[in-house]
Amino acid sequence: MTGTSLSAVHIEGLSKFYGDVGALVDLDLDVAPGEVVGYLGPNGAGKTTTIRLLLGLARATAGRAEVFGVDCQRRPVEAHRRLAFVPGEANLWPELTGAETLHVLGQVHGRVDEAYRNRLVERFDLDTSKKVRAYSKGNRQKVLLVAALTTRADLLVLDEPTSGLDPLMEQAFRASVAEARDRGQTIFLSSHVLSEVEALCDRVAILRQGRLVESGTLDQMRRLSAVSVEARFAGRVPDLSGLEGVDGAVVEGGVLRASVSGRIEPFLAVIAQAGVSRLVVREPSLEELFLALYGESPQQPEAVPASAG
Amino acid sequence: MQAELAPGPPAWARLIARTVIARRTVRKSVRSAVLWGYVFGITVVSSAVSYAGIYKTAAERRQLEVAFGHNLAAGALFGPARQLQDVAGFTVFKSSMTVMVIGAVWGLLTSTRLLRGEEDAGRWELLASGETDLAGAATQGLCGLAVAACVVWALTAVAVVAVGRWSLHVGAPAAVYFATALTAGAALFLGFGALTSQLAASRRQAASYAGVVLGVSYGLRMVGDAVSGLHWLVWLSPLGWVEQLRPLTAPQPWAFAPIVGATLLSAWAAVCLAGRRDVGGSTLADRSSRVPRLGLLSGPLAFTLRLARPAVTWWACVLAASGVLLGTVAKASGTTIVGSSVRQVFSRLGATGSGAAAFLGVAFVILAMVVAFQAVAHVATARREEVEGRALHLLAGPVSRSGWFGAWLAVATGSLVLSCLVAGAASWAGVALQGARAGFWSVMAAGVNMLAPSIFVMGAGTLAFGVLPRATVPVMYAVLGWSALVDLVAGFTPQSHWVLDTSLFHHMAAAPAVGVDWKADGIVVGAGVLMALVGWRGLLRRDLQLG
Repeated sequence: MTGTSLSAVHIEGLSKFYGDVGALVDLDLDVAPGEVVGYLGPNGAGKTTTIRLLLGLARATAGRAEVFGVDCQRRPVEAHRRLAFVPGEANLWPELTGAETLHVLGQVHGRVDEAYRNRLVERFDLDTSKKVRAYSKGNRQKVLLVAALTTRADLLVLDEPTSGLDPLMEQAFRASVAEARDRGQTIFLSSHVLSEVEALCDRVAILRQGRLVESGTLDQMRRLSAVSVEARFAGRVPDLSGLEGVDGAVVEGGVLRASVSGRIEPFLAVIAQAGVSRLVVREPSLEELFLALYGESPQQPEAVPASAG
Repeated sequence: MQAELAPGPPAWARLIARTVIARRTVRKSVRSAVLWGYVFGITVVSSAVSYAGIYKTAAERRQLEVAFGHNLAAGALFGPARQLQDVAGFTVFKSSMTVMVIGAVWGLLTSTRLLRGEEDAGRWELLASGETDLAGAATQGLCGLAVAACVVWALTAVAVVAVGRWSLHVGAPAAVYFATALTAGAALFLGFGALTSQLAASRRQAASYAGVVLGVSYGLRMVGDAVSGLHWLVWLSPLGWVEQLRPLTAPQPWAFAPIVGATLLSAWAAVCLAGRRDVGGSTLADRSSRVPRLGLLSGPLAFTLRLARPAVTWWACVLAASGVLLGTVAKASGTTIVGSSVRQVFSRLGATGSGAAAFLGVAFVILAMVVAFQAVAHVATARREEVEGRALHLLAGPVSRSGWFGAWLAVATGSLVLSCLVAGAASWAGVALQGARAGFWSVMAAGVNMLAPSIFVMGAGTLAFGVLPRATVPVMYAVLGWSALVDLVAGFTPQSHWVLDTSLFHHMAAAPAVGVDWKADGIVVGAGVLMALVGWRGLLRRDLQLG
């Protein structure tokens, strides 16, 4: 067995060009069996393109993609036997009922845990006697989620799976993914819901304009990125301009907020000398990490130069 | 403190916003309106020209009058035959019922597609959230449909006025009256379709309800025209009202009253109901729940059959009805194929000899065009399954593209075979009902003979589906339209064999007038299969197309 075949997902130099436009450029990515990986990026970053290439629904311009060692481009059907997929757009057959849709999708996949399906139908509060055309978008999405989860496939490929779900159902989804993870299933989750990714995923890969810009565990990413600090001063707020690693400093009512990257000791020395009365240091959230990668920062009060007041 | 509001958009911008649905409806309906306007016009022109070309002598026209003038079966199918010794009377008899029914089908399908279909697709919600409300949106949709109806009428009128001047020898007012009568069915069923779009819960259901109205309407008219003492039934039928306009023969303009009244009433009711129901809901109680029916859900082939089952059934019924109709009139029509000019036209269309067999020979060539249209519909459905993202659920599972599309082709082929057999059997039954003699097996062979052109069309569609998917439907229509045009025109004017050879239907023997040319059929089917294989290969190599 090669090292490649050990991966649940192995992507190597994968590219997709439409004419001169690169939808995905030279992507390398590995997902270990049992791992839950969040796949992030703004609209048009190439997430769905990656998934279509991974499923063999689109032809790669270059590179390869494998699922449990099976080449998805050359042997897609064999690869599909190991996975279940939930797309973001739940277009189903309007004249079938929910139960009929679950039945046909289960029959097509060839394996269904019926007891688990019944539990999921209850958990997602899905009325399967209704025709699909009478379902809301969220209910159609539930049908696809239940269909995918009940296959107990080794790999779940989920592309924006919770679009249209209400917060209660979002919790049901998280519980179901956690169960799948506990059973050792691998999950490849493309999502815009960063809190969901933060709660569920062991590792995150971030795409930008078709290229992978960041990949690692959240801890790794946090260690490499700036921490958020909030310091309250009884007296004058110190001037931090010129201090290496300090960015985005704003002062409001004697409170300094800034992000500090690299060594934090010089920053601590300066504020200790200025008489800091309260200090909160916080690791960045996934949202902050994500936005930082795209050159934006979370919404903050109107900036005041740090040297002021 | 109240925030200062930005000034509203200018009046012209508000007008544009308030007519967006109407303009969109016009845009989406005008193409088919133009197409059918031309078809209706050409139908009238060809009827007039063919009468002059086929029935040249007074004796031949008398023969026609004798055959159809008091033929109850023909009257039931096509309406009363009046003044058949005159080109105007024949043109009205030949074209009115056909155009009226096709116009009605176009009307109901167009209005349910653009009103209910848009709602099913979720676009109506977006459109109706602009500078309008639900009743206003329906009003705009109806205004757009009215423009489409005017386009159909105008194009038909241009053709009828032209042919009226040169062939029918009638003035412009009479010709415009005839064009209005021809397209009145379309207007009526645009209205009925709009109404059923508000009553039903889906486009398919709305089209079915309007289809039932059309079927009942045709049935009532048929009985009213065929059974003495029950003529009053014609006045219960919307198609009967249109028939009572009697253009060019004995005009009754007051018959416009129920037509206009019913159209306006349907439109008004549609607007009222649209304003009272929820988006996506229905006025009539909908059975949105049911006990699961798990038959034909066990794999790609069975599932495709389940999806295609309504269409397969519908087409089989259409071919059965057409077969019975043509079989029923075959004997009477066959007796009119007596003069040398009539025989010449039939022989140009491939049918030698005379009698019911010669008529059926040409009838089966025309039915083959309908069967080829069925092939277009099946491949177009597979294409929709791909583009609208439903095929994705199967293709992202362990179903190969070959398996998925192969299932569609298998079901389509089975459906075509079924339609051909049903048409053959139904035609034989129609002929037998009239007491004419026709061999069962020769008529069944004539039915099977219709398969070859449709397989070719399906092959061309598969080729495009694999290589240039966006062109799938246009390519099939181009092959079908060109072949039909060349073959039908060839019946009345001699054509070069180079042109004739480009028509699929020219290679089809006009059985049962002549024996089936199995060798020619084999070559046409072989060419279709070859194209399908190339297209299949392309399908395996291309990206799946979504949205």
